Amino acid sequence: MQQLNPSEISEVIKKRIESLDVTSQAQNEGTVVSVSDGIVRIHGLADAMYGEMIEFEGGVYGLAMNLERDSVGAVVLGEYKGLAEGQTAKCTGRILEVPTGEALLGRVVDTLGNPVDGKGPIETSTSAPVERVAPGVIARQGVDQPMQTGYKAVDSMVPIGRGQRELIIGDRQTGKSALAVDAIINQKGTGVKCIYVAVGQKQSSIANVVRKLEEHGAMEHTIIVAAGAADPAAMQFLAPYAGCAMGEYFLDRGEDALIIYDDLTKQAWAYRQISLLLKRPPGREAYPGDVFYLHSRLLERACRVNADYVKSVSGVEGKTGSLTALPIIETQGGDVSAFVPTNVISITDGQIFLETNLFNSGIRPAMNAGISVSRVGGAAQTKIIKKLGGGIRLALAQYRELAAFAQFASDLDDATRKQLEHGKAVTELMKQGQYAPMSTAEMGLVIYAANEGYLEDVEVNKIGSFEASLLSYANSQFTALMGKINETGGYNDEIASGLKECIESFKSSQTW
Amino acid sequence: MAELTTLARPYAKAVFAEAQEKNALDAWSADLALLAAYAANDEMVSLLVHPSLTADQQAQALKDVCGDKLTDTAKNLVAVLAENKRLTLLPEIAVLFEELKSQLENTVDVEVTTAYRLTKEQSEALKKALTAKLNCEIRISSSVDKTLIGGAIIRAGDLVIDGSLTGKLSKLAEAMKS
Repeated sequence: MQQLNPSEISEVIKKRIESLDVTSQAQNEGTVVSVSDGIVRIHGLADAMYGEMIEFEGGVYGLAMNLERDSVGAVVLGEYKGLAEGQTAKCTGRILEVPTGEALLGRVVDTLGNPVDGKGPIETSTSAPVERVAPGVIARQGVDQPMQTGYKAVDSMVPIGRGQRELIIGDRQTGKSALAVDAIINQKGTGVKCIYVAVGQKQSSIANVVRKLEEHGAMEHTIIVAAGAADPAAMQFLAPYAGCAMGEYFLDRGEDALIIYDDLTKQAWAYRQISLLLKRPPGREAYPGDVFYLHSRLLERACRVNADYVKSVSGVEGKTGSLTALPIIETQGGDVSAFVPTNVISITDGQIFLETNLFNSGIRPAMNAGISVSRVGGAAQTKIIKKLGGGIRLALAQYRELAAFAQFASDLDDATRKQLEHGKAVTELMKQGQYAPMSTAEMGLVIYAANEGYLEDVEVNKIGSFEASLLSYANSQFTALMGKINETGGYNDEIASGLKECIESFKSSQTW
Repeated sequence: MAELTTLARPYAKAVFAEAQEKNALDAWSADLALLAAYAANDEMVSLLVHPSLTADQQAQALKDVCGDKLTDTAKNLVAVLAENKRLTLLPEIAVLFEELKSQLENTVDVEVTTAYRLTKEQSEALKKALTAKLNCEIRISSSVDKTLIGGAIIRAGDLVIDGSLTGKLSKLAEAMKS
């Protein structure tokens, strides 16, 4: 252990005393009238602003959310056990802010940016208000760079671009979080900073995500904002905004960031709880009237901004910034017509539907390719995947149609049978394990194999091992080709013939 | 408390308008202070909310206690309040009435709490400074609180200026802890 240096401590104390501002300032004060379930009513505080921090006795803070004629309704941020009727409450004149910056990467923080991972204080000098108006029309730029998730099913059929909002929706236990976590792992080495906002989750699930990210070396570029199920509703409601503010730090500096909101259903629940306790009138499903705005203003902040905006905000020249959002919504019994799912579906630029029956029949990711769409990602796809991926979508669509029909037909013509078999093979090929993201070249190779009919003579139950051996063969024997594809993402005759040669020489070896 | 203020506001406004019309602000002020004092009394409160008494009986009880100090219009106010079962609002009505009155006169009641009794010069200087800051007439009521150690706390409605030594020390304590 280091020796304590007494003079050093005195020095610190002296500095602190010197820097303390003890000039008395006029403050607005009120009296706590009632405390219930994290909601405090304060009499007085005539000058309180909406969203202002309110300081209670004992250093506890609250957030003014209801400004009424004679009173202010505030939610307590943190522990409210010490608060009592008759205590004073002061205006602080500050809007809620969270620390931002590179120092947060690799850390687990709570909604207010306090570290909860036991790795000591976070040294950062920048902070940002949690609520911010999204960049306007002039500041924006089209989405044209890919955000690879590493899942061949997603990247080929529902491509996501940097700055896009793509919803992941499905029942419980369909692999929503797994998809999101894999997307984070796949950003390793790409320079994309990730923020994972856990809202209302079990602490054990959060710990699991942290451990998995650490195991795969993805924690270095990731911030985890944790508002667990045991945290106050106010923290759960604010966590996505806090995470977004941390992501905007990178956006403003011309970098690319990815934010996962896991999940917004629970955030809406927390907001509903707060609203009902604040006696705001309930609407459909007892949600308050502004639950649409709750999500729209959050997701609107995920965008791609142009170089002029980045320059004017942070002075960084010649770089565009982006914040990609992957919100997660959990449905009950596959009901996507409930209030919050329909809202978020309409806000986002597309959705990935995960289904229980697909999951249970072993198709993982359990994505329903028919109803999953990406409205803007096509422009951002790498050339090779764009060129080859179209065939996959088509094959699966035809397969679905025929499969339902073919159940009743005893003998099928040759063309139909062939199409069915191809569909089956492609469905099998689209399966992918967790924590095994694929590179562009690997995806391109296996999709090329499927499109060109190289899977026809492979048994369906052997497709998994065929794919694995093909990839390891290509990665060891055709390193140059794979590297070139990964680097450029382009597609031309030369690459096509390279892929062809690779697959044919592999197939001639018969080792799967 | 907040709800009570909201309920009391229309009554206070009505009384204030009436008083302004009849130019009887001070008389009303005295009446309301008297009524508020009685209506805040515990025994009186239990009488005013007693379920077996009629509104007339409650009004009569309050009027009897006040004796002949009340004006006739004040008695009418008591009757109206009794009819609406709002007699317990009288303290809030009195407070709101005083607020409206000081707004009209452009005056502010300022409470000054000091560690030591203020000298006349200090009091005058304070009054002058506060008049300049708040931009209206100041009525100072001062009290002494030894626990402040030194300095003063000035309260004008919701506005609080804490210049006490205790306040500064606790600020320092907070800063050292964080």
